[in-house]
Amino acid sequence: MSGIGSALLNSLDIGLLLFIIAVGLNIVFGVLNIINFAHGALYMLGAYLAFTLINLAGMPFWAALVLAPIGVAILAVIIDRLLLRYIYDRDIADSLLLTFSVLLIINESVRLIWGSGIQVVEPPSLLAGSINILGGSVAAYSVFVIVIGLVILAGLWYLFNRTRIGRIMRAASLDRDMAEALCINTRLVVTGVFAFGAWLAALGGVIAAPMRAVDPGMGDKIIIESFIVVVIGGLGSFPGALIGALVLGLIHGFGGRYLPDVNLLLPFVGMALVLLFKPNGIMGRSTSL
Amino acid sequence: MKQPNLRKLMVSMVTAATLTAGTSAYAEDPIRIGGIYILSGSASTYGEFAQKGIDLAVSEINESGGILGRDIEMIYEDSQGKASVAIQAARKLVHSEDVDALVGLDSSGVAQGMVPTMPELQKPLIITHAATPDVTGELCNPFTYRISVNVAQNMKAAAKIASETDAKNWTTIGPDYSFGHQSWEYFGDYLKEINPDVNLMSDTNFPRFGAEDFTPFIDRVMDSDADGVLISVWGGDLVNFVRQASNRGFFEKDLELMFTVGAATEVLTALGDRMPEGVHLSTRYWYDAYDNDINKRFVKAYIEEYGNPPSYNAEGAYAAIYAYKQAMEAAGTTDGPAVAKALRGMTMEAPNGTVTFREGDNQAMVSPNWGISGPMHPEHGIRTLTDLQIFDGEEVARSVEETGCKL
Repeated sequence: MSGIGSALLNSLDIGLLLFIIAVGLNIVFGVLNIINFAHGALYMLGAYLAFTLINLAGMPFWAALVLAPIGVAILAVIIDRLLLRYIYDRDIADSLLLTFSVLLIINESVRLIWGSGIQVVEPPSLLAGSINILGGSVAAYSVFVIVIGLVILAGLWYLFNRTRIGRIMRAASLDRDMAEALCINTRLVVTGVFAFGAWLAALGGVIAAPMRAVDPGMGDKIIIESFIVVVIGGLGSFPGALIGALVLGLIHGFGGRYLPDVNLLLPFVGMALVLLFKPNGIMGRSTSL
Repeated sequence: MKQPNLRKLMVSMVTAATLTAGTSAYAEDPIRIGGIYILSGSASTYGEFAQKGIDLAVSEINESGGILGRDIEMIYEDSQGKASVAIQAARKLVHSEDVDALVGLDSSGVAQGMVPTMPELQKPLIITHAATPDVTGELCNPFTYRISVNVAQNMKAAAKIASETDAKNWTTIGPDYSFGHQSWEYFGDYLKEINPDVNLMSDTNFPRFGAEDFTPFIDRVMDSDADGVLISVWGGDLVNFVRQASNRGFFEKDLELMFTVGAATEVLTALGDRMPEGVHLSTRYWYDAYDNDINKRFVKAYIEEYGNPPSYNAEGAYAAIYAYKQAMEAAGTTDGPAVAKALRGMTMEAPNGTVTFREGDNQAMVSPNWGISGPMHPEHGIRTLTDLQIFDGEEVARSVEETGCKL
């Protein structure tokens, strides 16, 4: 395959995985108006649960792909009922502080439970190695990441535009008081949305586990990337998360290959340019969800 | 309601103050050594290795009579991998915890920040991991020592090995900070010196530290004319790199591959047989490389205590405690400047053989351990190293003039 072809494929692989993670961050912000600093930690928990289910409990990868995100979503419900519900009406800075403390608690708990070493999860045999597409070889797992990214993208679009739950979420994000006046149980919506955001983060973690080292630093790495996605795309915007993730994917995929000397700089240059010319991100807040 | 609380607080503070004052009055207090390592977050595995090595040395020494008849007590602080945090920790250890000496430092950036403050603290520091040449070079001072291998030593050895291969076009993949860049600079300079015909490619690859996805860089090297690659990616990044590289068929290409920290046990443990056979791997200390009694005892005790073979970081930290024992006994005191002076030019026996702190720059004359990845170890679950090479410590060191250190 040509250099451009494999760079493009790689960009999609990186970008769509980032989309799955960042869109969860964005949905939580859009509906709950909190910036969830612990989002990366939930991503990491997804990866560690997958590691436990696959390597320690001997389950197949596909079972972990289903179970681990559900486990993290249940934990998210507990976090929401125990902590977050007290600060939904407060200033956004309070949510930053509280979720940052949740991040620290999860990070150190992971270290206590699983240790600080580096763990490795095997991809399912179906997705190991390379396959031939368009006359060139690509990693089979990259194709899987792209496919599952597109499935999540389509699923979310359908959810927000074609289902009642999606409309309720959008209504709650626009005006929570009005939604309540219309007999929508916003409390349930709020908890559900936070759990859904965590589910997406953990799904990203399970998908990342067979390609990336599972270690206690993986959450911190991804949260920075996710924030760059959100700044480029637009905070609280669903299409924004997609565009931001794809832009960052392209920056990594092509930058690493063709401009390796400045690849460290490029994401931040992109972010600075967007902030200068479109301070609310490419898709802005006005188009929320 | 507020006043009684305040009074209670003051009473307890006064009590605490008298208690601490009381304890430091005892003559036979333990000797206190402060350890500054990364103990939380992503790289905390390195701090834990160091702690394991140190704890082993401390319990051995305490069981056999201590230092100058006094026990050793360790006090650890978390550097969080940040220079500012480490400097604060060092001040706290020296001023509030009354430590007599310091060991530590996992990161080059932390070492570069902290080393210049050592003369002010008047306590000796033995660096056991951070590898930047600068701290035993331009930044050197009479209180700072390093017992572990630095980048310059490792790259001089790497260049010797590289010059014996058939590879002519060399490039690098390394983390985009001082470690990756300095590794390539030293490697290139030494290799050119030995073999002026080699081509050091201008297309180098420095992915961000913690890049997660290295595929664009791997593809780039595979499409280039390179036939030799110096890989200084380390830790979790290296695990990612190796798995993504084998997915892309990188290891099936006819490339001479040199991993500058590839034989770190934590990486080998994580990768198992996914680390390919037949590539050059280096580490600052390989547990199976030394046939002396101290090493045999150290490796045996370490495996008994912790269940797996010691990493280089555990060995450096272990040896540093013994270095303090010897220096304090030679000085007959734990006084900071006196101990620092005793370390100057000192020769000691360590798991990696006879180690001398060179007088000119306080760098230990030690050798990296290079080998070729071999079959899996039947018990330890990691690759073995074959064709092990241990270099003469003096030979792979920069000359004192080259270091830029003036002591």
